[in-house]
This record gives sequence, C-alpha cells and structure tokens, in this order.
Amino acid sequence: MAESINIELVTPSEMLFTDTADMVVVPGSEGVFGVLPRHAATLANLQRGKINVYHNGSITRRFFIDGGVADVLPERVIILAERAVDLDSVSIEQLEERAVNATESEVSFITAVKKAI
Amino acid sequence: MANLKDLKTRINSVKSTQKITSAMKMVAAAKLRRAQEVAEAGRPYSSRMQQVISGLAANANKSNSPELLVGREDVKTHLLIIVSADKGLCGGFNGSIARQTRQEINRLENEGKSVLVYMVGKKASDNLGREISNKTFERIENLQGSNVDYNKVRGVAEKILLGFADNQFDQVSIIYNQFVNAITQNVVVAPLIPANVVGEQDNESLVVYDYEPEQNELLELLLPRNITTQIFSALLESSAAELAARMTAMDNATRNAGDMIDSLTLVYNRTRQANITKELIEIISGAEAL
Repeated sequence: MAESINIELVTPSEMLFTDTADMVVVPGSEGVFGVLPRHAATLANLQRGKINVYHNGSITRRFFIDGGVADVLPERVIILAERAVDLDSVSIEQLEERAVNATESEVSFITAVKKAI
Repeated sequence: MANLKDLKTRINSVKSTQKITSAMKMVAAAKLRRAQEVAEAGRPYSSRMQQVISGLAANANKSNSPELLVGREDVKTHLLIIVSADKGLCGGFNGSIARQTRQEINRLENEGKSVLVYMVGKKASDNLGREISNKTFERIENLQGSNVDYNKVRGVAEKILLGFADNQFDQVSIIYNQFVNAITQNVVVAPLIPANVVGEQDNESLVVYDYEPEQNELLELLLPRNITTQIFSALLESSAAELAARMTAMDNATRNAGDMIDSLTLVYNRTRQANITKELIEIISGAEAL
C-alpha cells in the first residue's frame, strides 16, 4: 500500500514517537478504533490501553498510554497522552524502579503496563 | 593612602569572590543546557494541547460551554500564580517577577477585584511575602529546578480546580519568566481560567471534526488537563530561564570582580612604588647633608 499516515505520540516531557505507518490502532474511550490514511477528521478521548502501529499488515511498534486525546486528520494523527510507555523498549525492572515512591495512580498505571508487555 | 597590607587583603578577598562566581557560572551553564533541552522537549505537547482546545472552542456552542472555557460573568476574586526561583543570585529574575506581580495586583484591584496569590518558589514569598500576606492562597517550594515532576504539578492543578469549583476565585492567571535564549527572559502573564483561546486558525478550524464523546463532554475532560499542562510548561520555561539568568549574572559578577582586582592591583603597585621612592629620597638627602 503506497499511502501512509503520519503519527505523533506526544507526552508532556517529550515527543515519544513520530513516524509514518500504514495504520495505527488507538484505545478510544468509546471503543478501540483503527486509523488508516484518509480517516475522517476526529477528535477522540482515549482511555488507558495499547496503541499499535502497523506496517505491512503486522504490528511494528507498541505503546501503552494512560488515557489522552487523539487528534485525527486524513493525513496525520496526533496522540497527546499524559503518561506513555514504549512497550518494546521498557523492562520490568525499569517499571519497578518507577513504582517506588510513585503516587497511587502512577502505580496502577505501571501495574497495567506490566500486564500488557 | 591605604597601607599595603590592607590592599593585599582586599585583593585576596575579591579574588576568592571571583572564584566563587565563576564556579557558579559554570555550574549554571552546564545545568542550563539540560534544562533548555527539557523545556524544548515539553513545548510540542503544550502547543498541540492549546491547538486542540482552540479548535474545539472555536466550534463550541458558547451558551452551554464549561466555565473553565468561557469564564464566569461576575468576577470577584482573581488568583495569580507567580513562579519564582527557590534560590537567589540570578540577577533580575526574581525582581522582575515581583515587579510584574505588584503591577498586576494594582491593575486588578483598580478593576474592583480582590486578588489571591499562589506563590511558587521560595524567593516569591521572600520578596513579596510581607506585603501580600493577607492575599496568600498557598505557597509551595521545591517544585521547579532540575526535574519538574508532572505528577506534582497535577497536584497543584487539582488544588486550583477545587478552589475554582468552590468559588474561592473566579479567574486564574500565571506569571512566569519565559526562556527566550541564554541572555533574554521575558516576564509573561498568561490566563489559565478562562482558557487562553487562540483566535481562528488558518486552515485547521475549517475542518469539520467528528467528536467522540460529544464536544462539551470532551471540553470538560480536556480543560482540566490543559491547566496542568500550562502550569507544567510554565515551570519548565521558568527553570531554564532561571539558570540562564544566573549564568548571565554570574558572568557579569566575574567580570566586575576582574575589573576590581585590576584597579586594586594598580593602587597597590603605585603605593609600593611611592614608598620605595620616599625611602630613597630620605637616604639620598641624608647622604647629601653629610
């Protein structure tokens, strides 16, 4: 497939991920939905869950977010998330380190990330 | 004329001051690079959040929009969040924040509003604490610096949202130093409640969006997050600006100390030479008299 869509995953502290892909699946608060190129312009609230980035029909990158918002236009999608973790590069040890001294909501997020890995 | 020993002591004391200021300058410069990176990395999120809110607001139905967006009709109390540093020795950094705060308080009080102040950073309370002690809403320290913690900022934002819901104040704005470059910081007063909505965007506001959930529900969800984001980015900017201000101030101090050492050394040398000449004259005139 020639067409692709630009993806930006942004957290308050950094631009976590930007790339083009064939499709990205995001956890909308009213149901998980996939975004393909030429998707209708949508502004959707997101809940805690996985973001899957697809190239050539298979998942190439996986992220886990703690809710956020997706700003979808036909040629690009911007995902704003207060907390996000790259599931492919994070390790259980790193997560456990983060869980020390963390707030309650952070701990529950980290527990959810561990399950998703 | 000052005697030689006194001069020597003064030169040495200025020299050790110079060593301290030049060390502080180097520390600030090293930390600045990191803080600047962090501040710049944080910009995409806050600008995109602003963009999303503005787009939403432009299409929103004004009559039943949340108060966080349109504000209250009858504004009695205004909350000012002032972001200063925890430490001094950074030139005009804290002073300009204090000056701007006084101006804002005057302006708001002339409009007949009462003012509450949320002080971030130790220096704000040091500079203004006494004159505005009856206006203090809260003070907090150790929030900015090398690692601004988003979760802590969220706590601050929650407190502000609670106070707003509780009718303790009807408007909120934030005063902070914006980092422009290593030698320039701008004092910025930015509104938080009602939300700062950028006017019509060129092409994007023309797009008809599908909203999921409904537009107003989405606004209710996003506006509180936006407040956290705006405070967070203000803190990042302020931390970088503080280090930049300190670097410049310490650079100036080092240079001034250098000038002072030069002029003191000149006086020292002249005095020493004068003493030698005087002694020689005494010896020669003594010899001639024989």
